[in-house]
Amino acid sequence: METQSLAKRLFARPEAGPAILLMLLIVVFTAINPTFLSVLNISNTLAFTVELGLIALAMTLLMTAGEFDLSVGSLFGLTPVLMWTLFNAGTTSLALAFLVAMAVAALIGAVNGWFVTALKIPSFLVTLGMLLVARGTALYITDGFPQRTWSAEGQWVADVLVGSVQLGDLRLYMSLVWFVFFALLLHYVLTGTRVGNWIQAAGGNAGAAAARGVNVARVKVGLFVLSAAMAGLAGVISSIRTSAANPNSGTGYELETIAMVVIGGTALSGGRGTIIGTVIGIFILRLMRNGIVMVGVPGLAYNIFIGAIILGMMALHSWLDRRNQSGG
Amino acid sequence: MAEELVRMAGITKFYGRVKALENVNLTVNRGEVVGLLGDNGAGKSTLIKVLSGAVPATSGDIFIKGRKVEMKGTPDAIANGIETIYQDSALVTQLSIARNLFLGREPLRGPRWLNRLDLEQMEAVASALLKQVGISKAIPASTPIVALSGGERQAVAIARAMHFDSDLIILDEPTNNLGVAETQGVLHFVRTARDSGHSCVFIAHNIHHVFQVVDRIVVMRRGTVVADDIRPGQSSVAEVERVITGMDA
Repeated sequence: METQSLAKRLFARPEAGPAILLMLLIVVFTAINPTFLSVLNISNTLAFTVELGLIALAMTLLMTAGEFDLSVGSLFGLTPVLMWTLFNAGTTSLALAFLVAMAVAALIGAVNGWFVTALKIPSFLVTLGMLLVARGTALYITDGFPQRTWSAEGQWVADVLVGSVQLGDLRLYMSLVWFVFFALLLHYVLTGTRVGNWIQAAGGNAGAAAARGVNVARVKVGLFVLSAAMAGLAGVISSIRTSAANPNSGTGYELETIAMVVIGGTALSGGRGTIIGTVIGIFILRLMRNGIVMVGVPGLAYNIFIGAIILGMMALHSWLDRRNQSGG
Repeated sequence: MAEELVRMAGITKFYGRVKALENVNLTVNRGEVVGLLGDNGAGKSTLIKVLSGAVPATSGDIFIKGRKVEMKGTPDAIANGIETIYQDSALVTQLSIARNLFLGREPLRGPRWLNRLDLEQMEAVASALLKQVGISKAIPASTPIVALSGGERQAVAIARAMHFDSDLIILDEPTNNLGVAETQGVLHFVRTARDSGHSCVFIAHNIHHVFQVVDRIVVMRRGTVVADDIRPGQSSVAEVERVITGMDA
């Protein structure tokens, strides 16, 4: 009886469906191509997955608060471009350049938040505008050319952000540590803290939250800053790992991260969010991209599968919501 | 001699060029349940919005326990001990009962910088409160509001007002859209609140509901108070209806 109700409770959770899908993907891809679970493939997949994952973690909190951020892809491109432009010009040390670039990203997040909360403009429109402003700035200051980043070698900032250890065939980057750290931190914030309660209330019923004295605007601005800073950090990490700060990098990441978040079970309309679900969503999308290529499906068909997964997961979450509301 | 809790004096409210309230005076005494009645457009909701800080008065003063207060927003009203319960209960439906009860005033445990919710305490207090307001079903405090009925949601809102020791609980049409049993439940919650020393302003279209719980009835018509001392024991429903419609003149 106890086991049955535990199983029922587990399946009622928004993370249950995505978790099953993730396991299915791993089983199917490994069955078709056993190298899918090889150390080398895991190592390669992890390196990029966690960079995109950092953005999705912050996006989860923002979407739980009822907003979303389309400018993250552009900030992923702009922040490292700023950092390397400053450093390569010999103006500052790499550490200072990193701090300045991150501060600019955070400021852009604050501007997004201010437009949304003070001017009451939907975040879709505000961050769409900022997407263009940030991307345009990155292209303008670089004349469209990538910035050189190979001078990162031996810099402690680079080691702290992207240093790697080689364990046999497995190469693990520091970025994985950062990803795990932020996943645990943001899960705690969302589920176990007062701020987490305010984030959920801001997205669930902003009027009711404000009536209880919750400063909804401050909560949302804070989350826009977090989202922008995480996108910037992910961009910097990626630029050091790939030795290229390309002003065009990150294009399309905004939709991919939003897809990761909603597949994981966070409500697009706000009020309900799950970091565990997002982590699962991140791995579903990245393993999908990696797996379909490994099993011989043309890479160009990737979007067909992703679209189908999003539709399937949305249908599942909507069914679970209706079932929970009817007390079933 | 009744002790005055809230006094609204000379409240006038314009929406653009439309006068919604004209020189309205309303007093609520400590431990008193006042029924506020009036036809649609009489000004009841506007008066309550002014008292709950939702809209500012164009002119006039509000005194609480004899002290003049400024109502710049709902948090001001809550800080002054005035809690308003609307038809939709103003709850966050995705959050649990316990998380709603303490929203904005969550207790913490451990070092402050951890910002850690004391969920254990929140759920224990919430369970005790649900029993106090008379919810007989065993509903865990971790249940999300979305899973509750309309009457249970009103009970949660009333429990919240009682827990934070609001001096005055305003109930704006709390029995609308509720079934017979649920309505009786809400009326029971109002009596419980009064018995534990809270004052209430009760607004409802159904005069019979008002008669069951209030000590005094105030009637509004076209933005003014036309009667403020009708006692349910001394007047009939028909008489009150005549005052509301203006057929008493």
